[in-house]
Amino acid sequence: MTQSLLFLVVGVCLWVIGLYGLLRVRHVIRRLIAVNIMGGGAFTVMVAIAVRTDPVDPVFQALVVTGLVVAVSATAFALRLASAEAHCTRRRESRP
Amino acid sequence: MIEWLLDGTLAALLLILAIAVIRASGLYASVVLFIAFGLLLALTWARLGAPDLALAEAAIGAGLTGVLLLGALAHARPERPSNTLYGYRWPAALVSMALAALLIRAVWPLAETTQPLPAQVMTELEASGVSHPVTAVLLNFRAWDTLLELLVVLFAFLGLRQLRLAPLAHTEPWPLLAAWGRLLAPLALVIGGYLLWRGTSAPGGAFQGGALLAAGLVVLRLNGVLPALSWRQWPVRLGVLLGVTVFLAVAALTHAFGAGWLTYPVAWNTPLIVAIEVAATLSIALTLALLVVGEPEEVHP
Amino acid sequence: MTLALMSLLLPLASALVLLVLRARSPVLMILATLGSLIAAAGALYQVVDGGEQLLALGGWEPPLGIRFRLTPLSGLLLVFTALIHLLVAFYAAASRHSQTRHTDYWPLSGLLHASLVALWLSNDLFNWYVTLELLGLVAVALVTLAGPKAYRAAMRYLILSLVASLFYLLGVALLYGRYGVLDVALLASLTEADATTHTALLLMTLGLMLKAALWPLHLWLPPAHAGAPTAVSALLSALVVKGPLFILWLIWSEIAPPALARDMGFIMALAGVAALLSGGWSAMRTPYIKTLVAYSTVAQLGYALMALGLLLYWELPELHVALWLFVLSHGLAKVSMFLAAGEMQATLGSKRISALTGATQTMPVAMFAFAVAGGSLIGLPPSGGFLAKWLLLQPLFAEPANWFWAFAVLLGTLASAVYVFRVVALAFDRAKPTRPDFDPHVLAQWLALIPALLVWGMALVSQPLILWLTGVTH
Repeated sequence: MTQSLLFLVVGVCLWVIGLYGLLRVRHVIRRLIAVNIMGGGAFTVMVAIAVRTDPVDPVFQALVVTGLVVAVSATAFALRLASAEAHCTRRRESRP
Repeated sequence: MIEWLLDGTLAALLLILAIAVIRASGLYASVVLFIAFGLLLALTWARLGAPDLALAEAAIGAGLTGVLLLGALAHARPERPSNTLYGYRWPAALVSMALAALLIRAVWPLAETTQPLPAQVMTELEASGVSHPVTAVLLNFRAWDTLLELLVVLFAFLGLRQLRLAPLAHTEPWPLLAAWGRLLAPLALVIGGYLLWRGTSAPGGAFQGGALLAAGLVVLRLNGVLPALSWRQWPVRLGVLLGVTVFLAVAALTHAFGAGWLTYPVAWNTPLIVAIEVAATLSIALTLALLVVGEPEEVHP
Repeated sequence: MTLALMSLLLPLASALVLLVLRARSPVLMILATLGSLIAAAGALYQVVDGGEQLLALGGWEPPLGIRFRLTPLSGLLLVFTALIHLLVAFYAAASRHSQTRHTDYWPLSGLLHASLVALWLSNDLFNWYVTLELLGLVAVALVTLAGPKAYRAAMRYLILSLVASLFYLLGVALLYGRYGVLDVALLASLTEADATTHTALLLMTLGLMLKAALWPLHLWLPPAHAGAPTAVSALLSALVVKGPLFILWLIWSEIAPPALARDMGFIMALAGVAALLSGGWSAMRTPYIKTLVAYSTVAQLGYALMALGLLLYWELPELHVALWLFVLSHGLAKVSMFLAAGEMQATLGSKRISALTGATQTMPVAMFAFAVAGGSLIGLPPSGGFLAKWLLLQPLFAEPANWFWAFAVLLGTLASAVYVFRVVALAFDRAKPTRPDFDPHVLAQWLALIPALLVWGMALVSQPLILWLTGVTH
């Protein structure tokens, strides 16, 4: 068993753990955390695929950089949206 | 032997932490564990020969996402303790295990496969204008991906602008923290700039530099050192849009007058890439900082 | 290729200009969309005339770089996207209820346009991941324009869209790990039927089906599309869900090993039937106007999925044409239906279908648009919807063994007839019409009618249309 294989399996397991969490948690912040764990798993798989060759595959590493930017931007927007939603609901409930 | 011990420990810790994040009984605990998970992931990637990614993940996963999650906690509806996990435990577990088995079977042969592509990147590296392969892929070989990636950051920010946001729940910064912040933030700015500069020849580059700069801006903002920005000020608008605009202008100009869409003229390789990187770093830093700590009156029209 | 790139660049650059200037005028965006439409038409002409065009971005050929590919179909989709954007832009500029006055609607719609063009032109699995994210983010941002009441639906849409992307991304990672290329044309010549490939395709399919709201992964669509501002609902239903469908079609018809494609085709066709029936059933029962139109999108996507499934299952090239005719005719009809429904809902002051009582008297043109578009969705001749359904039914009637599928199509048609006539019948009940809250706006109603007339006009150009689309499969 090589280092690459070990982390391929770990990445896949992280992805599945995130998915399992997503199936079972309800709170929106927890859901977003679960999505980010899935993302971490997918990126770990990509990093592990990149490391198996010599030299290390720069293409897939670059794609992970792109993927990370996408993930952080979407997560940031989602969290602010969640806050805005909670805030607006609270205001609506307190008004009448 | 030591190597194996380290890898095994990292792998086990990652899995345990991930499960702990999902199962943690309080929201706050879950967020804190997730930040730790992000740091551990960065460490793992550093072990896997990906220092670029480790840098990025440390700045984002632990830094920016952490600030975001803690900020969102302040507004979130409280979670009823009985409601942490719901749904059918066994069906969900069974589906997940089956999926895990399927996926492990699918990745098993991958560790042995080899590919000619990395070698090809190395042979073309001379012609790309930079000497660090990851930067060459990001800004030359697959520059179109990176242009679209800058658009993703912009779109997330534009989405934020449409929301009726809650004001961020700032408390008076703790004096020691404020002092540390003043020390750390300039350091982050300097390191961010250094990473950008170094990116052409070594791990680092626009995105890692941008993320660190953003983290510095966030700390300064939370400390109240940085004045409020506003979408009304044209420098802010320009800063947010600069990366995409420069990149797109290069694409259009190379298509109209040069050899083709995003085909840099050979003599201009390096300066063009550096110009795009600088613009992209500024935009990423400013946009991410606004995404994380933008007050309603800063981002709205 | 220059023209196709112009079609991408014009809306994108105009959106950036609007953002820098903080301008909210519709004029620039309408002009840019018009320019984009002309460029797209030129690109379509060139590609039909001269054949497929390739452009290696940055001068790097795959596997190192990304390659754009302009086929007759993608040319047609460029024209379609620009046309839909133009029609919706006219409505959004004219209507008082389009919720575009105090928001970033104009730049966002330009960015949506550019993202779609980037998706149609791309031919690279990872590049598609980024364009899918672009589409998802801009679509959610557009949904939130409707204000806080739409936030919950937007949140659900965003989370599901992110999860779908991660399914897709893991699939792409596996394929890259196995074959080391991301370009579809290169991958098509390499794929073998092994466990890794199967799992990767399965993951990508699940992600894309979730993004395209294909049954059984469609539950996010009705609240998001019904809750969005009217002009946005039209764009989302007509265009955004078609992006992932395009990728799904390409990966199954080009990359997938034939044996697996056959099995998967059967499952997809069954899912399509389920979508037809469940979407139709929900549309028959919902009390809200826009929710009805949104469920009809779920049902109509069922036809497209069924055509895709059957073409893989039987390897029938004619069904490619049926699939894309469904997409085009559904897009035009749905724009009309959403604009008419939204305009009536805003003018009559209620989201409920019961508010449409006597609408043929108060808002005759909008109601006419709704009925005409509905006619195409049902598949009445000589509309575009009829053409598509006719092409789909031909192989189904050919052999008695296929009558199950024909029966499913007929059931779906019946369901769509019921939900369209349910509204139309109510609108003819002129005894006690609902009083409008505002004076009905005549121009906006006429603008809602144009796409419906175009979809009936598709029948006039049916022959060249079918010929072009047939060219796609070769």
